[in-house]
Amino acid sequence: MSEQLTADVTIDARGAGCPGPLMDLIGKVKTADSGTVFELQTSDRGSVSDVPEWVEKAGHELVETVEHEDYWSIYVQKA
Amino acid sequence: MNGYALVVATDEFEKITAASIIGSIAAASDIPVDVFVTMNGLRPFEHEVVETRDFTTGPLGEAMLTSEETEVPLFTEQFRDAREMGPMNLYACTMAMEMWGRELDDYVDIFDGELGVSGFLTKASDKQVIFV
Repeated sequence: MSEQLTADVTIDARGAGCPGPLMDLIGKVKTADSGTVFELQTSDRGSVSDVPEWVEKAGHELVETVEHEDYWSIYVQKA
Repeated sequence: MNGYALVVATDEFEKITAASIIGSIAAASDIPVDVFVTMNGLRPFEHEVVETRDFTTGPLGEAMLTSEETEVPLFTEQFRDAREMGPMNLYACTMAMEMWGRELDDYVDIFDGELGVSGFLTKASDKQVIFV
């Protein structure tokens, strides 16, 4: 299933610690159109739980989180 | 909830970094944040201190400043980014500046101005206060 996921915007935040990945995502989401799908690539373990918390609170949709060997892809769709 | 009023009175690198992270995510999420930097908290914002990284740190702070694997933005950069993304304002404490013998120009360019205690209390009146 995860191979079929496609994103409109990919944010490579690998190597950045908290809160870098989330800040990058928020910045991009703010200026995007509704329905835009983002792939946030992060190697920060905290983002795996922190990003979904923000997504839910902000009213967007967490599509899926895919674990790779040394990073995660968190797919988010803007409401 | 009308936002947060962060009082940064410490010069400890880790505590200021924590305040910058929490405040930044709040502001980026459109939650109003006012940051009042006072007492020893002002010193780490001085140009020379930032340039030389002459911070008061513990082990975690050292790790954050020297890590080659994980990029951790300096608290000044974090505050700067947050001010561009959301409703965040930073104020330096007038009394502490006078005690330090400093002007606003002596600090990194992220402050919106200086405030006395009455000014801060006015801004904090409708917010949850977090003291660091």
